[in-house]
Amino acid sequence: MMRIYLHPLPLRIWHWLNAFIVIMLIVTGLYLRLHGIAALKPHDPVLLWHKGMGLAMIIATLFWFIYNISSGNLRRHYGIKSRDIHGIFVQARFYLYSIFGGGENPFQASAADKYNPLQKIAYDAVMLIFLPVQALTGLLFMDIPPLRDYLLSVNLFGLLGAMHLIFAYLLVLYLIVHLYMATLGETVFSHTKAMIVGYEEQGHGIKGEETNPI
Amino acid sequence: MRTDRVPKENGKQETGNHRLNPPCTRRQTLIWGGASIVGLSALGTAFAQGTDRPLIIMEKAQGMVIADPVLCVGCGRCELACTEFNDGKASPTLARIKIDRNLNHGPQGITTWRAGHGNLGDGLIVQDLCKQCPHPVPCANICPENAIILSTVNNARIVDPEKCTGCKICLQACPWEMISYDPDSRKATKCHLCEGKPKCVEACPAGSLSYVSWYDLTGRTTPRNLNTAMLPPQRSLSCQECHLPGQEQNVREIGAMIRGAFGGGRPVATGGIGFKWIDMAGAILVPLAIGSVLVHAVLRKVVKR
Repeated sequence: MMRIYLHPLPLRIWHWLNAFIVIMLIVTGLYLRLHGIAALKPHDPVLLWHKGMGLAMIIATLFWFIYNISSGNLRRHYGIKSRDIHGIFVQARFYLYSIFGGGENPFQASAADKYNPLQKIAYDAVMLIFLPVQALTGLLFMDIPPLRDYLLSVNLFGLLGAMHLIFAYLLVLYLIVHLYMATLGETVFSHTKAMIVGYEEQGHGIKGEETNPI
Repeated sequence: MRTDRVPKENGKQETGNHRLNPPCTRRQTLIWGGASIVGLSALGTAFAQGTDRPLIIMEKAQGMVIADPVLCVGCGRCELACTEFNDGKASPTLARIKIDRNLNHGPQGITTWRAGHGNLGDGLIVQDLCKQCPHPVPCANICPENAIILSTVNNARIVDPEKCTGCKICLQACPWEMISYDPDSRKATKCHLCEGKPKCVEACPAGSLSYVSWYDLTGRTTPRNLNTAMLPPQRSLSCQECHLPGQEQNVREIGAMIRGAFGGGRPVATGGIGFKWIDMAGAILVPLAIGSVLVHAVLRKVVKR
């Protein structure tokens, strides 16, 4: 059995803060969507919570970018290298087929290389596409005087709303898979524990169990 | 552009005979021919529109009259004030504001099994007012004489009596049936906001009417008349300037057409709770994701044993 230090403290704090913010955003967003934004008053408390949590999400994401770029993590852990292209198929084959027969995970996480190719793709999509799109469309909905008039005049709010909605559903889909993959560790909660204490325990597990959540 | 390969022994003949046999294949001829037809016709349309182009109203009105049904007592003085000021006679049917229209069943009449407004419904007195519609202005778009123009004072949509021929087609085009026809002058007439000082607002004793800056009521009020898809051909040509085929608006119009073919209602105004299809896709995909994750978990347990 070995213990590997995978998650530094700032990222752990960011992760759980982000989890809280995302859950709040999904709950308030669902409420807003079900009621219809046009039927709500501009100072509806749920709307204010959604806005506030959205701003918190933007700040948290900015922190994530600054931390990961300055520490070199973005390139090290999130950059898709040429050997990952083949790894995608190996990893997908493992999740879709050999995991049932008790096969061994082709990828072992280490401090130098945290994520398997599928994880890289998923995290890159979320952090580099989904969240920026949500932040941008969400910001444009706010009452920024010259922008708002312009957007109203060219009738762009419908399109912005549709994009915000599409990417919200994509994030929900991602969250479902993320939560499931988080239970595929040595034990059901070992990845969750690693995200709390920072150390991942490896090496004495049953074959066929996963090492990392996507 | 590379053309079809020419066999080597014929190469000399081809190059020597360049003018008689230009290196232009049948495909290129078709492409360029088609492109020039399209281009020239587009040029022709542009010039044709430059000379006598039907007016398309893009500007929003700056004011509108709104009514508070709670305060209204149904006295009808606004109707009298409207026709006395504008027509010099007392004729409520001609008024541009219509109070308590369809007294017993409300403005929609009996369309469903439910009781609506009116005396036989919830007793509400309903005031109908011109909404000064935004861009696809139904009455102005249908008018074959371009007689519905903008007021210079507040962009109200007004009938130009010089051009109006009294064909009454705008009466059918207005989704809320707010255009009146004057049988004496044989002209259509509609709310023109009285140069920014609406007489109905001044006459209202209950304070129900007010003149406010314009906002879009068209998506929020149920239309009485759904017959708004009519467009004379010379104007639809003018519409092509903005609504080119393949643009997003056209997609939306086609969507509305399909919805109409299946008996669906008027599409919801954008900005509200539109884009239901995203919700539908989400309502399919999210349970599918949860389900497949659960199946994966169960399979992992079952297959291992």
